[in-house]
Amino acid sequence: MLKVKNIVKYYGNNKAVDNLSFEVKNGEIFGLLGENGAGKTTTFRIIMGLIESNSGEVLLDGKKIDYNLTDKIGFVTEERSLLTKLTVLEQLKFYGVLKGLDERTIEKDIDKWLERFEISSYKNRKIKELSKGNQQKIQFISAIINHPKLLILDEPFTGLDPINVKMMKDAIYELQKEGTSIIFSSHQMEYIEDFCEKLVILVKGHPVVSGALKQIKEDFGIKNIMLRGEDLPIDKIKTVKGVLGISKVRGEIEVKIEDKSVAPKIFSLIKNCNITKYDVVEPTLNEIFIAKVGGIHE
Amino acid sequence: MNRKFLYLTKVSLRKKFKTKWFVITNIILAVAIILLLNINSIVSFFGGDFDNKTSIIVVDNDTDSYTLFEKNIESYASSLNDEDMKITVKKTDKTSKELKDDLKDDEILVELTSDNTEYLKAKVTSNEKIDTLTYQVISQSLNSTKTTIGMAINNIDATTLNNISSPVTIDRVVLNEDNNVDENMGLIMSSVFPTIILPFFMLTMILIQMVGGEICEEKTTRSMEIIISNVSPKQHLMSKILASNIFVIVQGLLLVVYTVIGLLISTNMLSSGMSLPSEVTSIFDSLVSSGFIEKLIYVIPLTLILIVLSFLAYSIVAGILASMTVNMEDFSQLQTPLVFISLGGYYLAMMAGMFNGSLLIRILSYVPFLSSFVSPSLYMMGEIGLIDIVISIVILVLFIYLILHFGIKVYKVGILNYSNEKVWSKFFKAFKSKDV
Repeated sequence: MLKVKNIVKYYGNNKAVDNLSFEVKNGEIFGLLGENGAGKTTTFRIIMGLIESNSGEVLLDGKKIDYNLTDKIGFVTEERSLLTKLTVLEQLKFYGVLKGLDERTIEKDIDKWLERFEISSYKNRKIKELSKGNQQKIQFISAIINHPKLLILDEPFTGLDPINVKMMKDAIYELQKEGTSIIFSSHQMEYIEDFCEKLVILVKGHPVVSGALKQIKEDFGIKNIMLRGEDLPIDKIKTVKGVLGISKVRGEIEVKIEDKSVAPKIFSLIKNCNITKYDVVEPTLNEIFIAKVGGIHE
Repeated sequence: MNRKFLYLTKVSLRKKFKTKWFVITNIILAVAIILLLNINSIVSFFGGDFDNKTSIIVVDNDTDSYTLFEKNIESYASSLNDEDMKITVKKTDKTSKELKDDLKDDEILVELTSDNTEYLKAKVTSNEKIDTLTYQVISQSLNSTKTTIGMAINNIDATTLNNISSPVTIDRVVLNEDNNVDENMGLIMSSVFPTIILPFFMLTMILIQMVGGEICEEKTTRSMEIIISNVSPKQHLMSKILASNIFVIVQGLLLVVYTVIGLLISTNMLSSGMSLPSEVTSIFDSLVSSGFIEKLIYVIPLTLILIVLSFLAYSIVAGILASMTVNMEDFSQLQTPLVFISLGGYYLAMMAGMFNGSLLIRILSYVPFLSSFVSPSLYMMGEIGLIDIVISIVILVLFIYLILHFGIKVYKVGILNYSNEKVWSKFFKAFKSKDV
């Protein structure tokens, strides 16, 4: 289990991480969100032991992270971190040995992973000769070759088509079942919603939202009512107290309401119309992110 | 030693040695060195008219000195030990006008005359310019002939003449034993020593490029974050330094091997009748007579220590500079001062011979980066003693300790920095920080 306790990191006078705390249990996928420059990379670097925080601590299974413990961590960086002049085999061996494995063990595992990601034929090809998607697969394999206890995934699906995204998702779920703690970071909120039960949203290094995704959506209050039908009294709906806005989304009307108590008022207005859809839905993570991050900027 | 450190070093070495370019470069180097050392034989092997046959036709205008001149010519020509030089001398009764009309390219016409003021005068005529050696033979022979004539006329015996013309015997005594050296050493230093230290200069350049290039590559590909999360920055830097130093030392040894092979081939050719150019043998003779070779043997172990330590210092600084840059272009610019310092050392070593006794050059001989170039050359010239080289080594060791101690802090911050913003401020902060 990973415990991040009240970490603070300054770069000069700039506070990059401001009193951040979270826990990732074994077999849990945790989302770390934030706009560019919010402090995600700094947080990852602190967890990996690359830089030291000014205060607070990071514990993996109750121990402070040092070079012995980093052998048990896998890290997929946002930008590809591969030595492009090496072959796939050399690259995977290189990172594997640096993670404390011996070359023979790595060689055994490599074939299994390359086969699974359908890139066995590239084993002796140089990294620079591979497509971006295949490079991303190599980067992912290099991060999990040591069967990590903690896996940090920073934009892991970059450059992958939907088929390969599914392939990688399956591998991540498998690791989750094996008990690996996973920290997931992405700007694509649908991935976070897919994967993460818990998350934290950082704004300028400070956690503005944190907790279980379900609870976050509940606490956010704002709901959406999706309507489809004819002769809908749009103007009347707009005047209802608690309606925040109306917009068209993929041929449907989306009514944003303050909280779920407003929903019955809307229903009473449209119940006599020819409606084919009335659905009160939770806000998307994207909406929450924009509201929280954008709100602070405003 | 740490397994990961050894593995990093092994991978780094494999990247350097296991490339087709290493093999190709070394084949080219080996061939070039062997060819250069045997250039004389190779030129001869491909043929051409190397027999320097010259026919000297002498017109003796009543001086009666032909026989003497002929003997002198034969004597000088044979003393040169140049098998390609074949001079024949013959006397003719034809007039100089007739001879000039039919003079061939390999013929030289020498007209001997005399008057009241000079015992012997000569007019030398040829179609083309005469080569230096043949002209020297003719000129020396004429001078000797004139001297013999003069001795006969003035009743001077050979002993008396020898007493007059032999050079003054100089008994050279230098009271400071450390400085007991030939005064011609300066000239030798400026011509020979640069050739000896040129490979060291070249290897230093390769080393700077190699350490910096590899660190820069790992940084720009962002693989540095993964590497540094598993090994400490210190281990990472040291593995690069060790691998690059092993590479340049092996490359240096290979250069020595190619030179030895070249010399062995050359020696075999010598024994089968070919010879080194007279310029090379004369330089070698003067090196032996000046005590250069003998001194070189004493200074070699200390010079090797200086060289290895300098390699270390250069590679540490190159590594630290590379960590501060964000791409290859930045590193190319940042390494320029290091290249110029090294070049400065090379020139100072050459100039040491021209500025005997220069206090500045002597002080610079203790300065790290320069000492490996300058110290040995000053010692060879007798300007400093062995103790001064030892002092240079001690200063260099201290310098390496300091750059490692402070530099590693900069390196640790530098390798994870991808921005050029406030770069110097970041590094000065790192430099002053207590955290290593």
